[in-house]
Amino acid sequence: MSGSRPQPTDARPQDLPVKAELPRLRVEYVKDSRLAFLGHLDLIATVERCIRRAGLPFSVGNGFARRVRIQFTSALPVGASSACEYFDLRLTEHVDPNEALCALRGATPSALRPVRAAYVPGRLPALEAWLDRSSWELLVPGAGLDAAQIARGVEAVRERGELTYMRGEKAKRVDVASTLVGFEARDVEGGVEVCLETRLAGCALRPQVLLDAATDALGLPRASALRVRRVRQAHEENGRLVEPFGPFCEKDGTPLS
Amino acid sequence: MRARRESLFHLLEPLLAHVEHPARYLDHEWGSVQEQDGPFHLCMVYADVYEVGQPNLGVAILYNQVNAQEGMSCERCYLPWKDMAALMRENEVPLLSLESASPLASFDAIGFTLAHELIATNVLETLDLAGIALTSAERDEDDPIILAGGPSAWNCEPLAPVFDAVLLGDGEESIVEACACIRDARARGLTRLETLRRLARVPGTYVPSLYDVVVDESTTRWGRAVPRAGEDVPEVVLKRCVNDFAATPAVAQRIVPYMGIVQDRLSVEVLRGCARGCRFCQAGMTYRPVRERPADQVVRCSVEGLLASGHNEISLTSLSTTDHSQCAQILNRMNSELEGKGIRVSIPSQRLDSFGVEMAAAVAGGKRGGLTFAPEAGSQRLRDVINKNVTEQDLEAAARNAFEAGWRRMKLYFMMGLPTETDEDVVGIARMAKHVLEIGREVVGRGPKSGVSVSISVAVLVPKAFTPFQWCGQLDPDEVRRRQQLLLSEIRDRAIRVSYHDASVSLVEGALSKMGRAGFSLVRRAWELGCSFDAWTSEFRFDLWERAAAECGLDLADVACEHFPLAAALPWDHTSPGVSKGYLQREWLRAAEGVTTPDCTRDTCADCGVCPALRVHNVIQGVRS
Repeated sequence: MSGSRPQPTDARPQDLPVKAELPRLRVEYVKDSRLAFLGHLDLIATVERCIRRAGLPFSVGNGFARRVRIQFTSALPVGASSACEYFDLRLTEHVDPNEALCALRGATPSALRPVRAAYVPGRLPALEAWLDRSSWELLVPGAGLDAAQIARGVEAVRERGELTYMRGEKAKRVDVASTLVGFEARDVEGGVEVCLETRLAGCALRPQVLLDAATDALGLPRASALRVRRVRQAHEENGRLVEPFGPFCEKDGTPLS
Repeated sequence: MRARRESLFHLLEPLLAHVEHPARYLDHEWGSVQEQDGPFHLCMVYADVYEVGQPNLGVAILYNQVNAQEGMSCERCYLPWKDMAALMRENEVPLLSLESASPLASFDAIGFTLAHELIATNVLETLDLAGIALTSAERDEDDPIILAGGPSAWNCEPLAPVFDAVLLGDGEESIVEACACIRDARARGLTRLETLRRLARVPGTYVPSLYDVVVDESTTRWGRAVPRAGEDVPEVVLKRCVNDFAATPAVAQRIVPYMGIVQDRLSVEVLRGCARGCRFCQAGMTYRPVRERPADQVVRCSVEGLLASGHNEISLTSLSTTDHSQCAQILNRMNSELEGKGIRVSIPSQRLDSFGVEMAAAVAGGKRGGLTFAPEAGSQRLRDVINKNVTEQDLEAAARNAFEAGWRRMKLYFMMGLPTETDEDVVGIARMAKHVLEIGREVVGRGPKSGVSVSISVAVLVPKAFTPFQWCGQLDPDEVRRRQQLLLSEIRDRAIRVSYHDASVSLVEGALSKMGRAGFSLVRRAWELGCSFDAWTSEFRFDLWERAAAECGLDLADVACEHFPLAAALPWDHTSPGVSKGYLQREWLRAAEGVTTPDCTRDTCADCGVCPALRVHNVIQGVRS
């Protein structure tokens, strides 16, 4: 008898804000040192708590769980650090972005420190799908592998067009032809430095998975203690890359997304 | 020799990529105390994985308390999961604290929280990983002093050889005094034995090595502990009690974990102690007297705590939150303060007799998940035996209120193996579940989309020290299984879900609850054979426990199911939570007659002995109805 159930005053449909009209604050933050080992779900919970601590006027969804309206970029592999992670937060009112950034910095562990905040158009697609290009820097430490070997291995994987790996008990198939955009390796002091460009297209190409497939292809031992860092994310459109904070229009004012 | 205090995180870090949930080992959480200068260093240990240990309120309270002292620091340590423990052993990495990543063996003192009996093998696993000798007798002069406390310290005898000292009762004050005592003794260059003697003078501190176990005709087979000849230690160690509870911080949890933990919410301890007098309940007997926090403090500290932590859920915790004389007021004020912030206010479980219409409206604000009640027994006769003091009418009214207020899922806790229990009582559990389901269907509707369901969870009674049931034996495991099947056969409605405790797990818990000091050989052997994480269903190895028992000349069922004579000296009689043995004996006899005893916060004094023994009294903020 739902009629006898009291209706919470903060959940009447007529009182709820329309999501598209809410200010959309984009925040860039790093993920490094120990917190590189934070899994994606734990990261989401942590950032939500930072937002609450920061005292920002966040908007809450209308579902049963009443979650903060927030979107994240694609999950980093556990252990990978990043110089450029993003979240989009819907606010109930406009707050000066610098003030919001300042409040967030004061409420966030340094290993997840926010570095930039700005409003972006509310009409943009969901962040996770929109930021579909990533640049990575990898350091393969120690002796045993050199840049030329790694390059040969990656080329062998690329020629196959796809690779399959096990994640837990599930087999994952990655379309290497679509997801591997660029690759470069060079010998440096203490190991091999690899620069990788990937595209989000179906199952994500994880740097460690690519390196493992490359060494496997040559029958070489897998690289251990690999250091992975995401250094850039962008949106690919019409053959060009749009930065996370825009500009979102062509010079003539044509919207890019 | 004591290990050197230095950060060894660089040894742990390379292992992180190879283990499940590396976030367990990261530290640096928001609110953790990173300044750990000491010079006195304590490490609090919860001997289970991070996500189980981190929510523990006791550890949080003591962590804050010690860190607030000048010259003292307190860190945390949890037991690594098996994958990490194996890697640590393989790479010769010792167990480290979280905050400074220092070897556990480098600390001045280590404090174990004994949250339940099944943590016993994990205590040994922790010490072994840390490279610390397992028993007090084997430790070197300069090794850390190993302390223990917590709810299961009330029969700590099976682990007594492990601990240098056990702190009984509320630890807020005694942990600081114990640390100061160890610090001063070390500064004066006293021997380990002399340090322990001084610790025994800190009120509420039991030093097992200064007591001998005597077995004679006045005792059970486990004997009783008496002061060792020549040692000036109390015959009975009386627990500590924080009298001015409202003067302690209401929100102890300041550390905000990165990873999901088992109780991932902010907790506010709204009251301590319970005087309902349920005869199976160890906490109800050992946490007396009842001390309520004022509503103003609860509401103010909750709002401040939520702002400081960023949590989106807050739990008003205690042994029986709805008994707080200002509970409805607290809930209403918090719901109104937190409206629109996406924050859920919850209470752990509700008393059937205090869940009125007002409470139904106030709990959980606008959201209705599941609701939990604990009738404990399936018949009025048996509820009188256990002094539960709730009636069938209470259950009906509470269920009706809850369904009318929007709840659809109801969870009911019961126990099996209670003294005098018959098949009729077991069938009564099924009858009650069906009755609650019927009320739900009456109120909400009968269609499959009504979503009305009832879950019943049936535990096995484990008779615990310092309860009126401490003399009774546990129900034989085969009989437990028969009664579980009887219950299952009575329930055919798919809207009623039944879960019950594994009889084997309860048997080990029962044996550990009943044994005296000689039981340590069983715990040690079980650990040597590979038992650890016994509270995890996936890890519990009954075959190894049985083998260990056989090798020690014990039979687990024989130990757990043994009845103790009412006049016998019990293995734990040298410690006291304040309730008198006479009171417990009276309650045991009243149980046999099915006579109930009233709650002294609502009725007359039941003469349990706590107030005169501890020179305390109940602190009730309003009037309990």
